[in-house]
Amino acid sequence: MSATYDNGRPLGRLTIHDDAQQMIDRAHEEGIETVWDRLRAQEPQCGYCQLGLSCRNCAMGPCRIDPFGEGPRKGVCGADGDVIVARNLGRTIAAGSSSHSDHGRDILEVFSAAAHGEASGYRVTDEAKLRRIAGEIGINTEGRSTSEVAVDLANELMANYGSAKGSLSFVERVPALRREKWTGLGITPRGVDRENVEMMHRTHMGVDNDYVNLLLHALRTSLSDGWGGSMIATELSDIMFGTPTPVVSEVNLGVLSTDQVNIAMHGHNPLLSDVIVAAAEDPELVALARSFGATGINIVGLCCTGNEMLMRKGVHMAGNHLMQELVLVTGALEAMVVDYQCIMPSVVDVAKCYHTKIISTSDKAKFPGATHVSFDPHHGAQIARDIVRMAVEAYPNRNHERVRIPVAPVQMMGGFSVEAILGALGGTPQPLIDAIVAGTIRGAVAVVGCNNPKLPQDLEHIELTRKLIENDILVLVTGCAAVANGKAGQMMPSSAALAGPGLRSVCESLGIPPVLHMGSCVDNSRIMQLAAALANAIGVDIDSLPLAGAAPEWYSEKAVAIGAYVVASGITTVLGVQPPIFGSQNVVNLLAGGLDGVVGAKFAVEPDPYKAALLIRRHIEAKRQGLGLPFIAADEIRDNESMAQTVGV
Amino acid sequence: MQTVFVNPERCIGCLQCEIACAVEHSSSGELALSFLEIPVPRKRVHVEAGPVPTTAYPNKCRHCDPAPCQRVCPTGAITREGDLVLVDAKRCIGCAMCAVVCPFDVVTFYPLAGGLAPEAPVAVKCDGCEARVGRGETPACVESCKVGALVYGDINELVKSGRLRESGSVLAATGFAPTALPNGDPLAGWRSFGAARTAADAIGSRVWERRRRQSGANASIDGSDQAPPVKDNVTIEEGAR
Repeated sequence: MSATYDNGRPLGRLTIHDDAQQMIDRAHEEGIETVWDRLRAQEPQCGYCQLGLSCRNCAMGPCRIDPFGEGPRKGVCGADGDVIVARNLGRTIAAGSSSHSDHGRDILEVFSAAAHGEASGYRVTDEAKLRRIAGEIGINTEGRSTSEVAVDLANELMANYGSAKGSLSFVERVPALRREKWTGLGITPRGVDRENVEMMHRTHMGVDNDYVNLLLHALRTSLSDGWGGSMIATELSDIMFGTPTPVVSEVNLGVLSTDQVNIAMHGHNPLLSDVIVAAAEDPELVALARSFGATGINIVGLCCTGNEMLMRKGVHMAGNHLMQELVLVTGALEAMVVDYQCIMPSVVDVAKCYHTKIISTSDKAKFPGATHVSFDPHHGAQIARDIVRMAVEAYPNRNHERVRIPVAPVQMMGGFSVEAILGALGGTPQPLIDAIVAGTIRGAVAVVGCNNPKLPQDLEHIELTRKLIENDILVLVTGCAAVANGKAGQMMPSSAALAGPGLRSVCESLGIPPVLHMGSCVDNSRIMQLAAALANAIGVDIDSLPLAGAAPEWYSEKAVAIGAYVVASGITTVLGVQPPIFGSQNVVNLLAGGLDGVVGAKFAVEPDPYKAALLIRRHIEAKRQGLGLPFIAADEIRDNESMAQTVGV
Repeated sequence: MQTVFVNPERCIGCLQCEIACAVEHSSSGELALSFLEIPVPRKRVHVEAGPVPTTAYPNKCRHCDPAPCQRVCPTGAITREGDLVLVDAKRCIGCAMCAVVCPFDVVTFYPLAGGLAPEAPVAVKCDGCEARVGRGETPACVESCKVGALVYGDINELVKSGRLRESGSVLAATGFAPTALPNGDPLAGWRSFGAARTAADAIGSRVWERRRRQSGANASIDGSDQAPPVKDNVTIEEGAR
């Protein structure tokens, strides 16, 4: 198997998916550089940066700390390794939180414009949810029109961004015990922009020089994302584009069509993709496509824009983060339409090898070499038609002999909003609580996050998830983790056969998969909301629940923000990739230990998916014990298959 | 004998020695100007990743005596001066025989400012930072290394300090001393991720083969490409078995 390359030197196993491997092989044959080639070219990667011990925050520097303690132990300003690591982590979390929250603001601004009747192509789709959310945050809805309520909701949520409020609107959803913890620690998020700006301020030279104080604010910053920017993005997207309900879709590169115009929507924001899906059904554009010999227009998703479309409309999913270059290598794509976040600059270079047009749409995210169409939501419908037309007009340039669509698609189910899950349970979380209390389901784990070329693509997502459901643990997925599990066939109702007997029986009785797709990465806020609802229903804090988080293949700053708000909300999280903190034993001790006594949750790092599964199972059983539920003692939790796999083939 | 000694276990792959070396061998001596020069200055120390991605080895000319490169150089461009083996770019004809016999593969070929012809590649390798050392400074790579992976001094003194570190480990192992390093290895946590990546590679290969077997493909033991593609939904059948 000529699987992997580096000028003849094996790179190792890059992916466990056949569609990806075939396209990697093809890229290699055609001399097309991909993310794996670039990673190899970067190695060895700087150890100071990997340890978090380099600081570029001021011009007295840059500085680095010798981890061995013989060279410099302080930066020019006097900051030691603890402060430098904590400052760097704080800035990473601010960047991640800002990304989600700015995405939320874009949704909010369009929602506001739509509420005022100024946005073409956007309207309130889920009126009931609008009124419920508005009522929840104290807006009078009785006898008032949709637009009146929507305008008030928009104004109230706009106020969440600044410092006009004492705390974020959705903090009211957090269990009272947790809110008290946050108040005691001084980490209740006050304003979305405020916490991020304050994080940048505190990490300026000579401001916050106490690593504990810095990390506490980093948690507060992340909470302004999870219970602020991300949650606003999720809720308003639901109101405008529809609250997801279970829907069957298809996934992997096989969703591309040999005889249709293929358009991949890549990025994160549903504003554009929603109107593009509508434009692709425009009879005039379909007729244009037919006039060029195509049979129709096929919209597919990539990354979280893809997840947004899959969740609400069942639009087929081409792949996750590490598929973005490989989807171009099929030669079957007329256009890749991008908004923002996680879009590698390299897609422009790969697309040049084919007829594919890269169309950038956000004025915040331009790509030299791409065609830029500035997306103005006031004229959303028209711009969407223009973009689809550009793709259709590229179809005659397709070289059909170069088209390689490597596999047949796999089915997956998506659409599990909190509302849909409660709906499947009959309107209340009680049946789920009953199943957990009885031990039929041991607990639930959110497997989320990205792909990272440092690990074989999707290996960790799939194997960790497989081990958890085998042991009767319900898995909730978002983002790249959802796509990975979908491709592995673990996300159909029939996949219940993969689960342990307890989880299997529950899934079969409800007709749901053992792995529930809850959406894009901003939709991790749905998981927060579900956790809060469970805790409130039982009358405990979130950290008492048999829950855990996992980000097995994370790469992005956004993932660090998510991990931080999940932990600060009381859910212990296992990372598969090491964060850049190991230069400070104090920071490591706090995040992987001390935090448990403060917020009731902590971080762990475990790249081996089987060991991570054991760690999580032991954690969940310990939480069950804490609640007085039947539990399995830690030393009785083993995994024979994992041991066999660790020892040898 | 004065030399640059390498403690590979200390190297964290920051590549600062490579940059410092290239700047030292530029005309301007300024980082911001050096990479604009024509010909561009070249590094003479090469940090390559080890078998695990969190290990690295800064490789450079060891200034052998007798030096194989010096012996094979047909134009006498390579000479020995004290502790150093030096290349005279004006006499180098780029035949690369020195690179052929170099036990460390550290001779590279690029045009140099003082070369025989302006664009002809000549042998480029460590010159021991003669000028710096003459001024009483350490070589540029050593100065840039803040973790003690590259150290400069008398070879026997450097070897002795390594021996002392080692004897600490031996004594720790035999129970005569509490620990080899008072605070343990500060890089152990970080290095473990490099090792884990290697392990994930092996797990990934097993999962890949398992998925192929389950999809009905004959696992390709013979390295052929003939096995049919994996069907990505196979794990459903696996669970049903």
